[in-house]
Amino acid sequence: MPEAVLLGGEQTTTAVEWVVFIIAATTTLLGSFGVIMARNPVHAALSLVGSLFSVAVLFLNQGAEFLAAVQVIVYTGAIVILILFVLMLLGIDTEEDLEDEPLRGQMPVAVGIGVLLTASVFALTQLVGFDVVTGTPEVTAAIRDDMPNINQIGRLLFTDFVVATQLAGVMLTVAVVGAVVMARRPREYQPIPEPESMDAPLSLDPTDQGADNGAEVAD
Amino acid sequence: MTFAASMLASVDHPPIDWHALAPELIVLGVLAIIILVDAFGGEDRKWAISSITSIGLLVAIVPVVTMAVDGAVRSMFDAAYVVDNYALLFKALFLVAGYIVVLLSTNYIAEGDYWEGEYYQLLLASILGMMIMASARDLIGIFVALETISIPAYMLAAWRKRESRSDEAGLKYYLMGVFASGVLLYGMSLLYGLTGSTRLVDIAAAVSGEAPALVIVAIVFTIVGFGFKVSAVPFHTWAPDVYEGAPTPVTAFVAVASKAAGFVALITVVLVAFPTQPEIFEPLIWALAAATMTVGNVIALRQTNMVRLLAYSGVAQAGYMLAPLAIAGHSATSAELATSAIATYLVIYMAMNLGAFGIVIAMARKTGSAELSSYGGMLNYAPALTVAMTIFVFSLAGIPFLAGWYGKLAVVLALVQPGTWFGYSMAIIVGVNSVIALGYYAKIARIMWIDPAPDGDTTRVRVPVSVASALVITAVLTVAIGVYPPLVDQFTGAESFLTLGF
Amino acid sequence: MSLLVTGSAIVAQQGDPLLFDVDLTAVGIVVGKVLVIFAFLLVATMFMVWFERKLISDMQNRIGPNLAGPFGILQTLADGIKFFFKEDLIPDRAQRRVFILAPFLSFVPAFLLFVVIPFGGDFNDGNAGVVTIFGRETFLQVADPPIGVLFILAMSSLAVYGAMLAGWSSGSKYPLLGSVRQSAQMISYEAAMGLAIIAVVVKTGSLSTHDIVVTQAGEGLGGILPNWGVLLTLGVPFVIFVIAATAELNRPPFDLVEAEQELVGGFHTEYSSIRFALFFLAEFMNTVTMSAIFVTLFLGGPAGPVLFGPGWLWGIIWFALKVFVFLFMFVWFRATLPRLRYDQLMDLGWKVLIPLSLGWILLLVALDLAQDQNWNLFAVGIGAAVVFFCAAMLLRAAVRSGQATRHTLEVPD
Repeated sequence: MPEAVLLGGEQTTTAVEWVVFIIAATTTLLGSFGVIMARNPVHAALSLVGSLFSVAVLFLNQGAEFLAAVQVIVYTGAIVILILFVLMLLGIDTEEDLEDEPLRGQMPVAVGIGVLLTASVFALTQLVGFDVVTGTPEVTAAIRDDMPNINQIGRLLFTDFVVATQLAGVMLTVAVVGAVVMARRPREYQPIPEPESMDAPLSLDPTDQGADNGAEVAD
Repeated sequence: MTFAASMLASVDHPPIDWHALAPELIVLGVLAIIILVDAFGGEDRKWAISSITSIGLLVAIVPVVTMAVDGAVRSMFDAAYVVDNYALLFKALFLVAGYIVVLLSTNYIAEGDYWEGEYYQLLLASILGMMIMASARDLIGIFVALETISIPAYMLAAWRKRESRSDEAGLKYYLMGVFASGVLLYGMSLLYGLTGSTRLVDIAAAVSGEAPALVIVAIVFTIVGFGFKVSAVPFHTWAPDVYEGAPTPVTAFVAVASKAAGFVALITVVLVAFPTQPEIFEPLIWALAAATMTVGNVIALRQTNMVRLLAYSGVAQAGYMLAPLAIAGHSATSAELATSAIATYLVIYMAMNLGAFGIVIAMARKTGSAELSSYGGMLNYAPALTVAMTIFVFSLAGIPFLAGWYGKLAVVLALVQPGTWFGYSMAIIVGVNSVIALGYYAKIARIMWIDPAPDGDTTRVRVPVSVASALVITAVLTVAIGVYPPLVDQFTGAESFLTLGF
Repeated sequence: MSLLVTGSAIVAQQGDPLLFDVDLTAVGIVVGKVLVIFAFLLVATMFMVWFERKLISDMQNRIGPNLAGPFGILQTLADGIKFFFKEDLIPDRAQRRVFILAPFLSFVPAFLLFVVIPFGGDFNDGNAGVVTIFGRETFLQVADPPIGVLFILAMSSLAVYGAMLAGWSSGSKYPLLGSVRQSAQMISYEAAMGLAIIAVVVKTGSLSTHDIVVTQAGEGLGGILPNWGVLLTLGVPFVIFVIAATAELNRPPFDLVEAEQELVGGFHTEYSSIRFALFFLAEFMNTVTMSAIFVTLFLGGPAGPVLFGPGWLWGIIWFALKVFVFLFMFVWFRATLPRLRYDQLMDLGWKVLIPLSLGWILLLVALDLAQDQNWNLFAVGIGAAVVFFCAAMLLRAAVRSGQATRHTLEVPD
């Protein structure tokens, strides 16, 4: 059981860690800005890759090798690939696709809120004088020194957090089931009417049109 | 020795109390069974799925009851998973609510040609998440449970795939929910960063005393995150659109069970992790509660659609349920009173709100609409439904000797207990809001009893057996609790109801 | 442990690696190893290009390149020089920046992958591959992070980007189709590949490539057979890995990505000159790297007997020989196997390889456990076989039932 005090105090950061941190943090921020500033969806996705990869480097810098590897495998290797996939397959990969702004004026509002949030957190932590920072080595360091952190994570997942682990498994399974349903076509498949020039003239039977799709009234 | 053995040998196996996990395991088993039935049963056996689901939910209540009789507090994984009376009550609540939702869904889903098997799988997974949420006492458990509740709910909201309104509901719910999860997760990560532990009891021990600024940020973010789940103003904007677009049984589920789960998490986190920081969470929750009930009620007055009206009424009810938390940090007694008041209210809210949605489902089978005006002249052609709906709306309004009245009483009693202006002012706001709410609840009654049927169509409503039994269960509960409050009181008023850590 | 490179590779490192207090010898060793790897990979790749052409010629009763240098061995160099002097074309509709970036994205992971491969050292008599350079004890391996195997998976998942972006940024149909095919294929087979690797990890008990090799260097069954991963895991994961890796490399018979009849040249149709050469190099370099991964995971890496002379050199020799076996195998595949159809490819990956490798991991763990608990191995084997059979039948039934439902429900008309 960890001691019941707020963690903080002196950190022991080496110069190498500082340099790596500054570089990785900068690229993380640049990547994140790229995501929201890029005019082309694919460029935005690529910026996301840069940002996520830099986060992996930050993890490595904190001694969390496993997290770093998983970050790269899961996020850059799978999730962004899927994003790119969808962008390419749906053909929404050109700059015009981002010009249409569904929510007018959300950009300035978002900038305002972001600046406000950053400023308030900064003010609370720095100006008010409470000098507690998270991410201190006491928190992020491995719980035990005598084994690699991947073994420790494995043990924790299957002892203390076994319920959460199994529940996450259930959640992912069910999410797949739901996603398949969401992705499939509705059962009463209605073919798009053929263009008139095809062959026989189209019989426009008014009773065929707009087949009852209000399931609530099904009798 | 092989690798597997060497790994096993040196691991400390935490003891697992299988009795405490039995309800969850039963639900999990039922989930597995219906997946198999769905995969191999073929089209002609789909009907079995809803039966299996409802039976399974009832079976899962058995171990809950045996544990309640036993009365022991079961704590596992260093108090990260606790089964106490509080957890048991909510597990039972979720199971019963789930059962009623299945009853409401059976005909709707089968006739509407939805994806039957998958529907119940998602529903069960969501219920499973709720049950674990009731017991989870650490941030990881709470977060995973929250996601297990929400992710199926997002997809269920979009289940009427051919309706663009349903798509909109699903997408809106999803985006808002994910945003809320992000905020919550940020708060949680700050808490972990500050305290070095994810267990709520450790966090409570670490944040006692004067809190540094970051603790304030963490607490605020955590509460805001749950605020989305319980649709507290100003985080309620998703509720009306989702309620309207989603299939009505799903709406009932989201409005009742999902909201209750949000409250469970909120109570647990606030009272187990931050009991020593009342000056941070109390004003925040006071403001949230006051805004929630007032805004909900005022907007509800102007609604012309029954489901939207119920949505805003649900927002207002969430405000009533939030209110006792605003004084919960005053003393141990007030914390206990507040917890019981919220639990009482949630049980009652489950009965009356599910009932109201049941009526909406039954009526939509005839009218195909949820417009308020379509309820005109109900008395003539559906007298039983009219009486039941009247019971539900008057209970929601808090008319004496219906359950809702007792819920409000419990809330107000908890509010005045500490004897501070804080509690008194909240109690007054609750009172004023109840009067406002009467306006629209009475309007529903007036339309049903006095207005003529919109197009003179007075053919009878055919109510399926399952929906009828759901309505009977909820109506009986609503009346019985109102007449004889100890019925719910003996469960929620138990000594040391919520185990405040070890 | 702040940096991968300065991690446990330098065994006897002392003190805090402060920036201005860095042990220059250690840095020098690391830089030296990086350079050696770089040179080795480039040479091996050039050799591989020549070897492939020559071997296929032999198998097809042709002569193959025979003019540039002895046995045509300088042919690759000649081709490289030719590429340099060709015109560099960028299509009008290309996304310029991404188009230029893409070749590098496929080139760099191929290099990085090799960083965690142990390529030499003496693993006999509990020596664990330690060599002494300038008074420092180290391994013949650039870095040995505790997550070496995960690093391999991470880098091979990054390799998808090159092809994907190349196809997209060309602004042309065939490359786009090719790159979509390729990324789908790579993502699908990555799962099977990862599961096959997990079987090795379960048996060797470590994610560090060095530890995996050390385990495999031990005495095997009966003191005669080597303790190699291929035997430890009872063969099947090796076969799965061979198939998955071939698909991952987009080599025949899984080269639908560049099926000439359908897609012209696949994702690099629009590339020319040095940019094309980079893709070409990356592809062959990936083949070499993948063979090295094979050797590390399944064939004991550089472990092998020392006949005479220095032990570390024999490590390198054994490693090179083993890698050569796999290079030969890949060429052989190309010369003999016909290309799969796309749906067959996906069916093979998702419905055969992934379930099989999952089941195999369970079997291995069950046998492990049985051994420790002194259960009857035979009974456990029979039980596992029954479970295997039932699961396979269930899977079959599920697939059948799924197809039946799809046909009754979703076919229009």
